[in-house]
Amino acid sequence: MTWLVWRQHRVQYLVGAALLAAFAVMIVVTGTQVSDQFHSAQAACAAGQPCQHLGGLFMGSRVVGFLVIATLGTPVLVGLFWGAPLVAAEAEAGTTQFAWMQSVTRKRWLAVKIGWMLLAAVIWGGVISALVTWWASPTNAEQLNQFDPGRFDIMGIVPVGYSVFAVALGVTAGALLRRTLPALAVTLAGFIAARVVITLWLRSHYISAVTTTYNVLGNFTPKGAYWQFASGVLGPNGQQLPQPNNTQYFDNIPQAYLPRACSEVTGPNGGNPTPACVQALSHFHAYLTYQPGDRFWAFQGIETAIFVVLAAALIAVTAVTLLRRDA
Amino acid sequence: MTLVIETSGLTKRYRKVTALNDCTITVPEGRISALIGPNGAGKTTLLRLLAGLSRPTAGQLSVNGGTPRQDPAFLADIGYLGQEIPLYRRLSAEDHIRAGAHLNPRWDSALVRERLTGLKIPRDRAVGKLSGGQRAQVALALVLAKQPRLLLLDEPVAALDPLARRNFLGVLADAVALGNLTVVMSSHLIADLERVCDHLIMVASSRVQLCGDIEELLDEHRVLTGPSKDITAIERSQRVVQATRTPRQTTLLVRLNGPVIDPAFQVSEVSLEELALAYLGEEVPPASAPARLTPVTPGGTTPPYPPEPSAVFGDDR
Repeated sequence: MTWLVWRQHRVQYLVGAALLAAFAVMIVVTGTQVSDQFHSAQAACAAGQPCQHLGGLFMGSRVVGFLVIATLGTPVLVGLFWGAPLVAAEAEAGTTQFAWMQSVTRKRWLAVKIGWMLLAAVIWGGVISALVTWWASPTNAEQLNQFDPGRFDIMGIVPVGYSVFAVALGVTAGALLRRTLPALAVTLAGFIAARVVITLWLRSHYISAVTTTYNVLGNFTPKGAYWQFASGVLGPNGQQLPQPNNTQYFDNIPQAYLPRACSEVTGPNGGNPTPACVQALSHFHAYLTYQPGDRFWAFQGIETAIFVVLAAALIAVTAVTLLRRDA
Repeated sequence: MTLVIETSGLTKRYRKVTALNDCTITVPEGRISALIGPNGAGKTTLLRLLAGLSRPTAGQLSVNGGTPRQDPAFLADIGYLGQEIPLYRRLSAEDHIRAGAHLNPRWDSALVRERLTGLKIPRDRAVGKLSGGQRAQVALALVLAKQPRLLLLDEPVAALDPLARRNFLGVLADAVALGNLTVVMSSHLIADLERVCDHLIMVASSRVQLCGDIEELLDEHRVLTGPSKDITAIERSQRVVQATRTPRQTTLLVRLNGPVIDPAFQVSEVSLEELALAYLGEEVPPASAPARLTPVTPGGTTPPYPPEPSAVFGDDR
């Protein structure tokens, strides 16, 4: 069976491998430059020279930067080009009948075909993600944004889960619809829907967010690359103060709510508050709701597990469909 | 006598259509059975059920001594070639040969290569680029290479030219003569089937009309030719399958229940083609209606010559 799978799908596999290789070359070449820039800038900082803000550092080339963001879409590619035609194209051409009338059970036929495709999906997602994670590590170190939606999704192990899910979705759509083109449409729509729903509504709830409250005059920044949900100021009675607009604020307190003792302090950030003002402000609290940066890998694991479980359920549907249905 | 195929009450219904109804047949080992019937009669459905590609709605079937199932040993004993000749269009014949070698416990690669070389069919060209006839030859060679005990062929020779057809049927007959192979093949070309087949399964309107040894079946049927007169006397003693009337003459194809004693009728033997056409000539009465003989076209109007077969026949069972 493996021989036939390779013979049938070798073009797909080779195209995939070629794309991966091209991407790897680009990433490694530009990534080395980024890394060098980063380290020399860091060394300059350490030597006491004026520190360049590394966030503005030119990170590789614009094209590669765009490609790195575009790897958000790479998992669905394998769903479309590997997953969807896997059963659908054979059903369309009638070749399932050739395979199923050899001395091979349908179960084995499906297991071998899907097995190799899933392995290919793991390699695809894993290699792309490893390259992107490495390429982006200086940016991550500087901007601490790898937990943010959009960045989180192209690094670590989640791209592997997405790729496996995309292939399983494609295979299932193809097995149910038995035609490649509708299967492609369903795969694309289904993948986007699943990703959007899980990213927007589910991910933030994997573990309860942390809310830290601190003095309004104080400063609080969680360690590492945290994922921020909300911040604001609570008044003396613990009431939520409206978000100040740009022109009237004093340490995030709208002018209208500012204690009298602070009214002499003029203008945004103007002057130092008087002791009376500081005293009055002690009843105000700032808060920050966020996911701490050290949960990054826990979230990666949970999200990957969700997509792998979804993929397993889809494959079970495919198996039941193909084994029960008349050929 | 070992029965390779044995079915009883086999029925396949799709959502609204009954593709095969109450099919009871037996095929002994070593036969080449001709499966004939009009388009849409249920031939393909029957073959697919026997191959295990689809499952019956009702009834039992036994193929090679067991129910068709997903089991490598069962599948190894069945060769099936569908009408659509399913092959991987982008793969070459050689690729198919190697795939077959990987997928089957018994596989005679040399046989296919030899056969394709003999037919001057390139083994290295994508199957999709071969002509329809060549593709059919490749598929037939492949299904023979599997060395099944039962070969199910759905219109295998439809795409072949007359010479290739004769050649293939010869190969098939040789294969059956050599080993324990049984063949069921559907076709519309009765003359071809007559050459190699020794067993007949006839289906029409989803029902089996006849099943048995061709020789025995021919022996059981006669053509009676006589004056145009009332045939109720004959209908009482024989089963009239088909009656054709002109003002001067009545031709009856009957299934014999006993000797024909009416001296007015001349009795002659029947050919396979006549037999097939007689049974296939008319729709079967609906399954719900009681099987009975319906009267000959009333009024005795003068049909043109040769007359359209206005048929009368009862349910075979």
